[in-house]
Amino acid sequence: MTPLESYFPLAVVFALALVLGLALVGLAALLGPRRPSRVKEAPFECGSDPVGDARGRFGVKFYVIALLFVVFDIEAVFIYPWAVQVRELGWNGFATMAVFAATLVAGLAYVWKKGALDWE
Amino acid sequence: MPTVSSQDVLALAPVAILALGGIALLLSEVFLTSGKRGYQAFLTVLFAATAGLTAFGATPGKVFAGQATADAFSAFVTITVSFGLALAALVSASWLDARGAERGEFYALSLFAASGMSLLGMASDLLVAFVAIEIMSLSTYALAAWMRRGKKPAEAAFKYFILGAFSSALLLYGTSLVFGATGSTLLSDVARGPLQAGGSALLSAGLVLVAAGLAFKVAAVPFHVWTPDVYEGAPTPVTAFMAAGVKTAAFAILARTVLAAYAATGGAADSAFPRVLAVLALLTMLVGNLFAVPQRSVKRMLAYSSIAHAGYLLLGVLAAGLPAVRERALSGVLFYLASYTASAIGAFAVVGALESNGQPGDEPADAWDLERLAGLSRRRPLLAFAMTVFMLSLAGVPPTAGFVAKLLVFQAAVGAQYLALAVVGVLTSALGAYYYLRVVVYMYMRPAAEGEPAGVTSPVLSVALAVAVAAVVVLGIGSEPVASLARAAAAVVR
Repeated sequence: MTPLESYFPLAVVFALALVLGLALVGLAALLGPRRPSRVKEAPFECGSDPVGDARGRFGVKFYVIALLFVVFDIEAVFIYPWAVQVRELGWNGFATMAVFAATLVAGLAYVWKKGALDWE
Repeated sequence: MPTVSSQDVLALAPVAILALGGIALLLSEVFLTSGKRGYQAFLTVLFAATAGLTAFGATPGKVFAGQATADAFSAFVTITVSFGLALAALVSASWLDARGAERGEFYALSLFAASGMSLLGMASDLLVAFVAIEIMSLSTYALAAWMRRGKKPAEAAFKYFILGAFSSALLLYGTSLVFGATGSTLLSDVARGPLQAGGSALLSAGLVLVAAGLAFKVAAVPFHVWTPDVYEGAPTPVTAFMAAGVKTAAFAILARTVLAAYAATGGAADSAFPRVLAVLALLTMLVGNLFAVPQRSVKRMLAYSSIAHAGYLLLGVLAAGLPAVRERALSGVLFYLASYTASAIGAFAVVGALESNGQPGDEPADAWDLERLAGLSRRRPLLAFAMTVFMLSLAGVPPTAGFVAKLLVFQAAVGAQYLALAVVGVLTSALGAYYYLRVVVYMYMRPAAEGEPAGVTSPVLSVALAVAVAAVVVLGIGSEPVASLARAAAAVVR
């Protein structure tokens, strides 16, 4: 048995998903009634009337905040499993996590002092 | 669960020192706001020197259950990278200062990149290699965009980022296929070959993808298209650091991967993997040299020359496949990397010193034209002399470092019976002499254009150029100490 053969069930799932998706969309297009009106043709924007172009530009400030969020998000991802196992990991684990946290604190100090956290 | 021992931590000390240096410079930028930034380059040099010395004295051994290896090979790579970082930092200091763009973040990013390169020299696991490549690459993408208001730097950084991310994806996909075939990402396990009899096709596909991703980083043809634009558009000191450091680190991991791949695919000289590598080496030598000939921009010419040098280095890696000449070939590659680091950073430093100090966003189209070097021997005789030394070294003329490096690599190629490729290497080197010596001709035999500015002068730049010239000449005349270090480094890689 080649390594790829064990993936055969996965291929079946993919094929089934593709067929099912195409079939549902195709049947709806073939059988469904079609009465277009002005309101129905307009792009759907959470119920409110569409205003302006969707390809507007966002303030670069949002990206900075998003980036910082990712950093602390990842920190949480690492700290939770560590906190659960903290007794088993002992001082060795504590030292490792301390180095990791210290690096992040240094980064936070830099960002803070640089003024990236000031919204105005 | 494997426990962390002090050996693991100590072996990673050079990487840690470089990363620590990066953090220190980041904090220095915001907490020491005196407006004077001259100390930052020196701090960078200090951290680079410390990392190099630590690597020199490190005890060899496996790190984290074999995911990385601290040995003479990784020490050589770290020392070369640290040397390149220190030189590039000194070159950057004067270049950035002349443009009012010197910031701690620049050096911090360089140090982070260097820590990735150093880790890449140690990596003996494909995933660790991937992490190291990302540390290195993300820092260099940001560095390429340093003069972000300019049109060319923006284009260069964007191209570098998109294509670099693509090549990383190739590498990662290849790694996943290799894992599927061998059940491990450790190079030592990959070398044992596929787990099941039918897995060799999967393994080959994975290895080819991994090799393609790495070929991207070393700028081997046909994965080189980004190189001229990125090298030309990026700030000149950054180009110098990229050309030297990224190449050194990427070739280190390429050599380790290729050796594992040889072992996994049977190791015969006529099997598919060496043949693919041979074609890559041939194309890279030919295309790099042929396209460098018509370039008027010295910076772009050096970019194509960097591709050409990747070709010679690939020839060395290819020869390392044969166990009988492995040590000679790998030591040749390592020596080549050290010599290229000194020559390329020196050459880019001279180019950077002469380029016009135009407004960001409207740099003159001929910022790096050959004409800018015309009559340099009258205006600035020492600078012209330094450039001549670097050009001779890149061309491979004795008694410079480039000559010894080429000699070692071609000897190894002949020893491994790659006669045709060695001949192509020698012929393309002769072709290379044309465009390198053209620079020398412009400097010494053409009259200077009217009103040509003298370019940047600064004590730091002079020191950097003097060190680079000294390194090129010393490696050329008294190559034995470094060559024996390279041999010792090559001996430990299997």
